Amino acid sequence: MEAVLRNRAAFVCRSCTRRFQQQLKRNYSSAAPRPDIYDVVCVGGGPAGLSLLTALRANPLTAHLRIALVEAQDLSKIKSWQLPPDKYSNRCSSLTPASALYLEKMGAWRHLNQDRVQPYQEMQVWDGVTGARVEFDWAGTEPAGGTTIAYMTENLNLTSGLLKRLDELGGVSTFDNARVEKISYGEETEEVDLREWPVVHLSSGNQLAARLLVGADGANSPVRSFAGIEARGWDYDRHGVVATVELEGEGWGGDHTKIAYQRFLPTGTIALLPMPGHYSTLVWSTTPKNASLLKSLSAKDFTAMVNAAFRLGTTDLEYMHTQTSGQDEEYSWRMEHTPVDYRAVPQTITGVQEGTVASFPLKLRHADTYTAERVALVGDAAHTIHPLAGQGLNQGQGDIQSLAKTIEYAVTHGQDIGVGMSLESYNAERYAANHVMLGVCDKLHKLYSYGSGPLVPLRSLGLNAFNALGPLKKFVMNQAAGNGIKVF
Amino acid sequence: MRADPFEFPIPNREKSFGGNRKLYNRIPQGSHNTAQTLKMRPSIRSAALLRPPCRRAVAAVSQTPSTAFRLQPSPIQPSVSRNHSTSSVNATEISHFSALASSWWDPHGPSRPLHLMNPLRHDFIRTCLSSSVASPPYQNLNYLDVGCGGGIFAESAARLPTTASVTAIDPSPEILTIARAHAKRDPSLASKLSYVNASIETLPPRTVDVVTCFEVIEHVDYPSQFLDKLGEFVRPGGWLVMSTIARTWTSWFTTNLVAEDILGMVPKGTHDWNKYIHEHELAEYFRKDGKWGAPQKMGVVFVPGCGWKEVRGSEKIGNYFFGVQRVA
Repeated sequence: MEAVLRNRAAFVCRSCTRRFQQQLKRNYSSAAPRPDIYDVVCVGGGPAGLSLLTALRANPLTAHLRIALVEAQDLSKIKSWQLPPDKYSNRCSSLTPASALYLEKMGAWRHLNQDRVQPYQEMQVWDGVTGARVEFDWAGTEPAGGTTIAYMTENLNLTSGLLKRLDELGGVSTFDNARVEKISYGEETEEVDLREWPVVHLSSGNQLAARLLVGADGANSPVRSFAGIEARGWDYDRHGVVATVELEGEGWGGDHTKIAYQRFLPTGTIALLPMPGHYSTLVWSTTPKNASLLKSLSAKDFTAMVNAAFRLGTTDLEYMHTQTSGQDEEYSWRMEHTPVDYRAVPQTITGVQEGTVASFPLKLRHADTYTAERVALVGDAAHTIHPLAGQGLNQGQGDIQSLAKTIEYAVTHGQDIGVGMSLESYNAERYAANHVMLGVCDKLHKLYSYGSGPLVPLRSLGLNAFNALGPLKKFVMNQAAGNGIKVF
Repeated sequence: MRADPFEFPIPNREKSFGGNRKLYNRIPQGSHNTAQTLKMRPSIRSAALLRPPCRRAVAAVSQTPSTAFRLQPSPIQPSVSRNHSTSSVNATEISHFSALASSWWDPHGPSRPLHLMNPLRHDFIRTCLSSSVASPPYQNLNYLDVGCGGGIFAESAARLPTTASVTAIDPSPEILTIARAHAKRDPSLASKLSYVNASIETLPPRTVDVVTCFEVIEHVDYPSQFLDKLGEFVRPGGWLVMSTIARTWTSWFTTNLVAEDILGMVPKGTHDWNKYIHEHELAEYFRKDGKWGAPQKMGVVFVPGCGWKEVRGSEKIGNYFFGVQRVA
């Protein structure tokens, strides 16, 4: 054993494992198949998992790690994903400049189709009940870090870009179209003791032993269940309705100053986020009943409902949600009697892209911890957030940055990257930060879910005061853009 | 484990441990006992801060500095010839540290401060190597870790891509059993790491790039002979890197009184304040024979809840690292 492994690099290298397995095969030819040994096994090839692996491969200090990626979908399809310029996927995310910068650092940003990435510079946020409003505009001042608040990108554009970068870097054993059959612990042999190493069993028969098993496998993370980590939280009894819509123009600010709009309604928030050209992506959180109604409407009526939701009063909207059809006419009639400051709301939506209206239930979940012995959770496996602030993906990117840094520190100090002690700083750094963000978004959702009562004037007073306080507003905008002092 | 050139039976070790215990106890300064010169405690990695499993181990600890200082102006004075010595280990201390063996790798156990200190050892070694004068050793380094204990440092050194081999020695067979079993949990270690049940005097001569000796020297009765011996294993251009504690009121207060007597974070008998060594005493020792370059030092302070932090100048007060390059 020692003879075969002698003079190999510190971490398990490919040929090491191969020789080791040959050796084992010779010695234990009748025994069960031995697992393939990896330093990092990442379950889940979404934005979080792919970002982590790309970050590790792109960093010369961690590039020697032996890495495996396990993903249920066909990654070659995602990698070659493309859509015509007049079609946009309905699953989009906002990436803060900090997240974008990190993607750039790992060399992935330039692999995104930049024609499909839309930065926005301003935000209009208002209370649907009282009209109290915050205008996030830079008012002529340009901060050193730039005026971009966030970049809108289709999730598939991001994952496809990451896959291309990962392909360029190479060195990742990819198991896609793979189903995780079970995760167990390894065994002890004469030479090695893998009783604390998670072993991922794939339906293909492959067994992957992990020095560090990364759960990037989403809200229902099998890795989290394996590690016995509880995820707590609640369902909002709200669904997020998404769609790709077309507007009458490029937006009030033209192509150079794109504006995001968000209106708090008692049933949930409705947000319209700019995509390139005349396109925007809609995220409307509303009751499950309203969501199923919206999905059942014709394109014309759906469009009318979205326009109404940014313009009409809550009573009008309530009524229109009781109609099974005819919202288009209803909207035209009601608009005749509703004065609207048209520059304060998005340009009129003229159509919805076919097949893009969809919905998903909203919930808050937070894992009790992000790490266990030889296990780390990232992204949605660790936390699921209300989408009203568009922070879900950025939280995942924050996790990746922290975990990659933790792994780098462990590697350069000779620590075993899988042991709990090496992972402590990741959990310490990310848990509190994510918890604050989860809490803030949760409270915002709850604060604005009241249609009347004492909180309504108070929240409006707060919002108006906030809008009047220039420096505070600038501070928050810089925070959102990732330019300011790091608070979270 | 593969056969190591260092691995060979150590004569009379069992016998000497079971023999006259008094012989192994601390010999007053100036008493020239030729048979027992270098008495290194076995697994001294636990030295900094440990839990109390073994009170019987050492009787005379936590002496107040006032008496101790008079008796022991400096533990480093060369006073004893070292002919005929077969082992530097002390039986009582074997039992002291062997009792800790099972909890050695418990990250929340008594060795936690050592686990936390370990990354700083690598930072310090890196500082030393980068300050090398001639033929700086950076790649394919061979390490000798003396008093390796459960292997906290030895394992980590073996994992570094810049390491070619680590030979780790400790006189306690119990602790080496733990160390070997733990190393088995990481398949990448077998090719680079070998444990040898030995003391420094029983090790066949050879030279390596880096000799490490962390939290050991403050447990040695005759440090100058011990250092003489360690120095022989450092190749010209290589480094001797160690860590210990300065003999000050502060260190007595923190390591003896607070850590051992009041908080019980550390097993009683882990520290003998009399054996603590000032960095200037070490510097003086290495200055005299002209074989060593100017020393590197780094003082560290344990901040509960935060771990170890480098504090400039604290090498004169408490725990510190000390490294010297062999120039001749």
